[in-house]
Amino acid sequence: MAVPLTAYLVVAALLFAIGVYAVIAQRSAVMILMGIEVLLNAIGLNLIAFWRFVNPGDYSAQIFAIIIITVGAVEMGIGLAIMLLLYRNRSSVQVDDYAELRG
Amino acid sequence: MSLGEMAEWFAFLVLALISLAGALGMATTMSMFRSGIFLMASFIGVAGLFILLSADLLGLLQIMMYIGGMLVMILFMVLFSMDPGGAMMADMKMSLVERFFSLGLSSGKKDDGGGDMEHGGHDGGGMEHGGDGGDGGGMEHGGDGGDGGGMDMSMTTPVKGWAALLGLANGALLTGLLLLRPAWPESTEQPNPDSAEQIGNLLMGKYMMAFEGAGLLILIGIFGAVLIGRTSRYPDDRSRTAYVTVDAPPPEVEESAGDVVARDSKEGD
Repeated sequence: MAVPLTAYLVVAALLFAIGVYAVIAQRSAVMILMGIEVLLNAIGLNLIAFWRFVNPGDYSAQIFAIIIITVGAVEMGIGLAIMLLLYRNRSSVQVDDYAELRG
Repeated sequence: MSLGEMAEWFAFLVLALISLAGALGMATTMSMFRSGIFLMASFIGVAGLFILLSADLLGLLQIMMYIGGMLVMILFMVLFSMDPGGAMMADMKMSLVERFFSLGLSSGKKDDGGGDMEHGGHDGGGMEHGGDGGDGGGMEHGGDGGDGGGMDMSMTTPVKGWAALLGLANGALLTGLLLLRPAWPESTEQPNPDSAEQIGNLLMGKYMMAFEGAGLLILIGIFGAVLIGRTSRYPDDRSRTAYVTVDAPPPEVEESAGDVVARDSKEGD
């Protein structure tokens, strides 16, 4: 392994930072979901990098990564369904238009 | 450094560049469709990193699930919000041709996704800094010109400057901590090349409950999505009525035979 563990972790950290920016700065709900996907990707990359370098004999990390992908898929499906419903009601998926949900 | 090591470094750098530039393009471009495409590039880069880390099954799964599944959903949703009947069409159209605003992306008029990604890739670390100043400026311009239109057109919230600062601080902090930290104890053990078999055994043995739980979660997720998204059979439930892109026809007027004749003759003219 020529590439050290830290290099992968730095890539994952930068991905995470970009995802945080996208989640906070974007106004459309679809874009926020995309940002969340980037965050999940960063987490998965972290898991796999640690698996490969620290304990490659135990494949549990990959199970975790698979579970993360599954949860991400379900979250995306539900989120898009909610968005479809909101769009039907008010013709908008911009999260600012639903500010009364703050309670 | 042997040839194999050089090849590994090269692959790592290219894949890391693709994933980071893709994510950055996703977060900053002004066109939602293009952000979907950038997101696909990012997913492919991360999948390549997985394969480089010899988690080949996971890399394939990443491509199949994220790109084959989620990205199709996302792009469907993006296109849905650009529905010709919807009010968002004009905004989206404008942002598609006009602008991404630029963290290292050139804000050229042409639709040239590939070229932009190249540009984004070239200046690795510096582009976040460059983008920060650009963010604030772009935002203020948007606020100055035409308040109502400006609000609707911009894809980002007013706190974008803070968000960029937070993301930058986050990345810098994590990177600094990672670089300063003493290295983790690394194992020299080689993973089993047949990772699919190992994962299958674990899924069906030790992690059976997690597997079943994920299956149940998917099932409930499907139910929920169908329940939320489907149109209702009850006509008085306005929130669930089918979305119609064409304007509803005007209500019928009661008209006598003479009116019809008059209208017909007028249309004939």
